[in-house]
Amino acid sequence: MHIVPSGRRGRPKLALFTTLGVASVLTLAACSSSGSGSPSSSSSSSSGGSAKASGSATSGNITWWASPITTTSPDPRTVLIKAFEKAYPKIHVSLQSAPTDTDTNRASLITTISGGAKTPDVYMGDVIWPAQFGKAGLAVPLSKYLPKSYWNTFASGLVSGATYNGQVYGAPFYEDQGFLYYRKDLLAKEHLAVPKTWEQLKSEAAELKNKGLVKYGYVWQGASYEGLTCNFMEYLGSAGGTALNSGNTKATLDSAAGNQAATFMRSLITSGASPSAVTTFQEAQAMSAFATGQAAFLRNWDYGWSYAQTASSPSSVVGKVGVSPLPSFSGQPSPGTSNIGGWNLYINPHSKNVAADLTFIKWMTGTAAQTTLATQFSEIPTVQSVRTSPSVVSKNPVLATVPKTRLIPRPAGTPQYAKVSQAIYTNINSMLSGSSSPSSALKTAASQINSSVSSNGL
Amino acid sequence: MSTPPVAPSPGTAVTVPARPAPSRGRQDDVFRRQFARLGWGLSAPALILIAAVTIFPIGYAIAMSVTNVSATGSGFSLSGFTGHNYSVMFGAAQWRYALFFTVLYTVITVAVEVALGTLIALVLERLTAGRGWMMALLLIPWSMITVINAQLWGYIYNPTYGILDTIFSHIGLGTPVILGTRVPAIAALMVADIWKTTPFVAIIVLAGLVMLPQDLYDAAEVDGANGWTTFWRITFPQLRPTIALAVLFRVLQAFGLFDLPFVLTTGGPGYSTQPLAMLAYNTMFRDLDFGPGAAVATSTAALVVIGCLAFLRVFRAQVGDEA
Repeated sequence: MHIVPSGRRGRPKLALFTTLGVASVLTLAACSSSGSGSPSSSSSSSSGGSAKASGSATSGNITWWASPITTTSPDPRTVLIKAFEKAYPKIHVSLQSAPTDTDTNRASLITTISGGAKTPDVYMGDVIWPAQFGKAGLAVPLSKYLPKSYWNTFASGLVSGATYNGQVYGAPFYEDQGFLYYRKDLLAKEHLAVPKTWEQLKSEAAELKNKGLVKYGYVWQGASYEGLTCNFMEYLGSAGGTALNSGNTKATLDSAAGNQAATFMRSLITSGASPSAVTTFQEAQAMSAFATGQAAFLRNWDYGWSYAQTASSPSSVVGKVGVSPLPSFSGQPSPGTSNIGGWNLYINPHSKNVAADLTFIKWMTGTAAQTTLATQFSEIPTVQSVRTSPSVVSKNPVLATVPKTRLIPRPAGTPQYAKVSQAIYTNINSMLSGSSSPSSALKTAASQINSSVSSNGL
Repeated sequence: MSTPPVAPSPGTAVTVPARPAPSRGRQDDVFRRQFARLGWGLSAPALILIAAVTIFPIGYAIAMSVTNVSATGSGFSLSGFTGHNYSVMFGAAQWRYALFFTVLYTVITVAVEVALGTLIALVLERLTAGRGWMMALLLIPWSMITVINAQLWGYIYNPTYGILDTIFSHIGLGTPVILGTRVPAIAALMVADIWKTTPFVAIIVLAGLVMLPQDLYDAAEVDGANGWTTFWRITFPQLRPTIALAVLFRVLQAFGLFDLPFVLTTGGPGYSTQPLAMLAYNTMFRDLDFGPGAAVATSTAALVVIGCLAFLRVFRAQVGDEA
């Protein structure tokens, strides 16, 4: 059995490879020259589009790329599309369902758009993408088309979060933030108050667990992924710290506040208030532990409320759940900081129908769509007038909590945010699992962030 | 990625139709040259297609790794020649760890799989009744998609409702967080890999076993050799090329490890289970650092090719000595 071809056969192979090698180099050269030629053609087409694109087109076909918004039925995406097509009968929207995993979603979009695909026309993307996508030219600067009066309709902070280099790249579609969910019945039974400080939360969680009322005290998202960065930012903000300086050039998390935050997170596990398995928890694991009655406290996004209330879910906690702003550290302003999450609507720069795209985006961020999202699907609307409308608030108790919270954004102003976040969540995750001390985890994270923002690290 | 080093041998066997006969004159040479030209002409479309779908992307990745790449809305723009991508890569602790992890993972899983696979093949060879059924049964893990595999192992390793968690807590070993602690997470990935690919090695080795000539065994029996001696003196030396092939396949695959950690650990805790392929993917498609990402991908491919060539050279020398 010969597994290596003999030398005699080797020679034509060599010739073949040389030929193909030359061919590939030639093709490469041809391709790169065409590549360098295309930016001018694309910019001319988008400037051509700007003349007519103002969000007033009333006909055309567009594709909307969006990941599932809720797991409940009916699907909010199709509900909204139907209502839109009713308002604009000549615009046809086809839904392209995106991956639920945000990183996979982003990777698919990046390869699709940078490959020059004309669809999707409009895509729903994370609030942390504007800098990265804006810098790489993967999204249309919407502020070129939409007037200041449009941007003024949104709740404060949302538009600045979608801005990079003076241009707004995403229209805020729905907002999200961290909340504390707690078991009203258990707190009442043990005569405990809803925790206002992290320290209080830790001791109450440990107490309820030690008394055998629940399997776990407090569950949150501690796995090695973006969600851990959100959780960490909340402790860091509550302790009065920041992750990056205002110019996005230097890490600032290796501070007294950073150490307080990291040390506290680790102590949640060592004290028994949180299970050690929390280092593998994403939203789904934390949510299911809480919804099946295994945990007394939960940190989760807005959907945690409706999930815990839905009778059809495997929930034994219906009617026993309360929601409040996240706690703070004692001695720090109360409440604690909640991380801003949520989704924006972006336009693919290769879209052939920018005017219709804008019509769609304007409608989706208008009163009707936002009210539907808030009342029917309990999402947090981005439009200020909808958010404060009494009829909307009365249908969604989470919305009543929103004005009481204090928000903290992730340090997403830099196009290198993905690496900054990764430096945070990988190091905090290994610190949580006990592989490193809080101070060394923060030092490593800081040095990785510093080399990332100066484009000198992987 | 796994095909190029192995595929050419059957391929060339087809395109070079006859073993060159001793030259008998100019007439033969002309015929041969014409024949060769026709051969090239006929295989050109296929070769060009292969070039377009394999060689071009490989060449493009290499080009990306040595230039300044920027992603724009209308594709990549490559400019200048630079060593920056590689210097970023070599300077990154993440890369050094990913290299260490990938090599460690490859060496351990391939060694265990070959040892176990050979044992299974020896048993299967002796099996007369039900060999077909046993082989079919054994191939189930191999035939399953790795992502599904990984999900199934995820249920076993899950720290809240996992099977292992339940077993451990019932026998009083506490509740270890397997995928959230460094060494157990690495071991867990290896176990899942070994479970899936040992049958593959077993089938290849079995194919080699059944082709071994019987007369050597008869001679050994006449000389009074026991089973142990027979295995090490007769079976193993003759099996070597087969095992080499199995090792080659497995090394290529193990070095490209991606889906298991992607599903089970996403590289965590920290970077503990991030192999080179995942690092390249993350660098390219999460961080949009296409240059350094291409450098990671290119260097990984180069390492595999060099490793396999060296391995083949060693094995061929050994086989040659005995011939």
